[in-house]
Amino acid sequence: MSSTGWHVPDEDLRRYADREAAPPWLWSVEAHLAACPGCRHRLADAADPDVVRAGWSRLDAEMDAPRPGPLESMLARLGVPEHTARLLAATPVLRWSWLAAVAVTLAFAATAAHLAQAMAAPLPFLAVAPLLPLVGVAVSFGPGVDPTYELAVVAPLHTFRLLLLRCAAVLGTTTALTAAASLALPGYGPVVLAWLLPALVLTLLSLALTPRFGPVTAAVGVGVGWAALLASTVRFDTGESMLFAAGGQVVLAIGAVLAAVAVVKVRPAFETSRHRGRAPRPETRRAP
Amino acid sequence: MTATAPTVRAFELTLRYPRRTALDGVSFTLHDGVTGLLGPNGAGKTTLLRIVATAIAADSGELTTLGHDPRTVAGRLAVRRRLGYLPQSPGFHPNFTAFEFVDYVAILKELVPARRRHEEVRRVLATVGLDGERGVKIKALSGGMRQRVALAAALLGDPDLVVLDEPTVGLDPEQRMRFRELVAESGEGRTVLLSTHQTEDVMTVCQRVIVLDHGRSRFQGEPTELAALAQGRVWTSTVRSPGALAAWRTGNGSYRNIGEPPADAALIEPTIEDGYLMLIDAAGTAKEAA
Repeated sequence: MSSTGWHVPDEDLRRYADREAAPPWLWSVEAHLAACPGCRHRLADAADPDVVRAGWSRLDAEMDAPRPGPLESMLARLGVPEHTARLLAATPVLRWSWLAAVAVTLAFAATAAHLAQAMAAPLPFLAVAPLLPLVGVAVSFGPGVDPTYELAVVAPLHTFRLLLLRCAAVLGTTTALTAAASLALPGYGPVVLAWLLPALVLTLLSLALTPRFGPVTAAVGVGVGWAALLASTVRFDTGESMLFAAGGQVVLAIGAVLAAVAVVKVRPAFETSRHRGRAPRPETRRAP
Repeated sequence: MTATAPTVRAFELTLRYPRRTALDGVSFTLHDGVTGLLGPNGAGKTTLLRIVATAIAADSGELTTLGHDPRTVAGRLAVRRRLGYLPQSPGFHPNFTAFEFVDYVAILKELVPARRRHEEVRRVLATVGLDGERGVKIKALSGGMRQRVALAAALLGDPDLVVLDEPTVGLDPEQRMRFRELVAESGEGRTVLLSTHQTEDVMTVCQRVIVLDHGRSRFQGEPTELAALAQGRVWTSTVRSPGALAAWRTGNGSYRNIGEPPADAALIEPTIEDGYLMLIDAAGTAKEAA
């Protein structure tokens, strides 16, 4: 029995039975029918039994449907389609533990930079910040880090698209957190934002190398390369490096474009598993 | 012999890893029904299944799956749209419920509209008997139930080709029995390729069997034909035969001997396991001789 005393009018029941109901009115009627035996009885008298069964099946399915978590709800409010939000929410690193680890790392780096106010550039912060999205992307998709990797590879949804979606999610969250941390270092001026282009270059370069070396090895290699490049160009007394100056940033921007082109070129290799993903050699024999 | 076009036609598939050859010129065809892929550990079963499932490509050879060439981007996509795959040791997001996991795989399979997708998720979970566990977290399910969740995910979209990699490993006898029933049912009207190293799986659900050993195909045919390989070579006796390829004491106290008979032995009907042991042993002997 409906607690409000309201019942679905006969005309509306007929429209529902004739499949003329559309959301959100359809949901409203079905929600009432779920709670009101009287209206269900009237519907059973008025409608084709197949229509009634199909309606209950739809209702059961909706009641079973996964309830979106905070991240999915937020993405939905931003206009992200429901299925894309679900794919993003399944990203292994988009967990509170990962976000907390990024926040703590940034806090340490920003504190270290804050304590070294004598420097012209916040070296600890600029050295560490580009590595965070690199690590995040490395552990967001691939064999060994995503438990459903094998299923994703053989699914019709392009693996590269899934990878890009997850990269965008990781980059988005780490960039937002790092930008917030940058605000804690206002005394350094615009140079405090010099982590952005290195972060982009390192992430893209790592992606380009992933089909050949795997996500973790590629990220470790690129991270070591970044440390070596920084160490060879930095002045440890002032924290300055040509990488953080205008000229260096232009070079990094060009590097980002080249790395993006490389990622697009290796895109087909993401559609099969690593190591055995290459196309067969051309001398394959023909079937009889 | 079936007259319909094969679902899968493979010719001389070869794949080499840096230190070993996983597949060495394997040819076969698959038709509707359940085909068992039998072989010892390291025989190349998983490699072959991953090639058929389009997860990896062979180094050489020819493969046509569901009428498409999986080496091309379009062919691979066409195959994947009609494929169900249960990998060896399938991974799960442990915090997902059974419904959420299958729903996630459904999105990967491009079932986008939420209402239709959820109906399909309910259908496949009901097919594998997990109606009552839809809302249970994966980490709270038993091993057998997890395998059924993975099978449900493989059956999404009513695929024409289902590839199952050792789905009965780690299950208790009752779970194995239930799972075999599900596999047998899922093989009606479609092609199922089932990898296993348990001859009971082949006996109970497979219409055809392929035996792989050291990356090579050693046998292809019906299960009864595999058993027939040991015809006239299996004996029961009160003592173990010293010259037998394999001999063991059975539950009733007598010995089952494959190969040379001991004194006072009686010839008995061979099983698939006997035929398999004969085949693998003969292959091993030939390899040692070479």
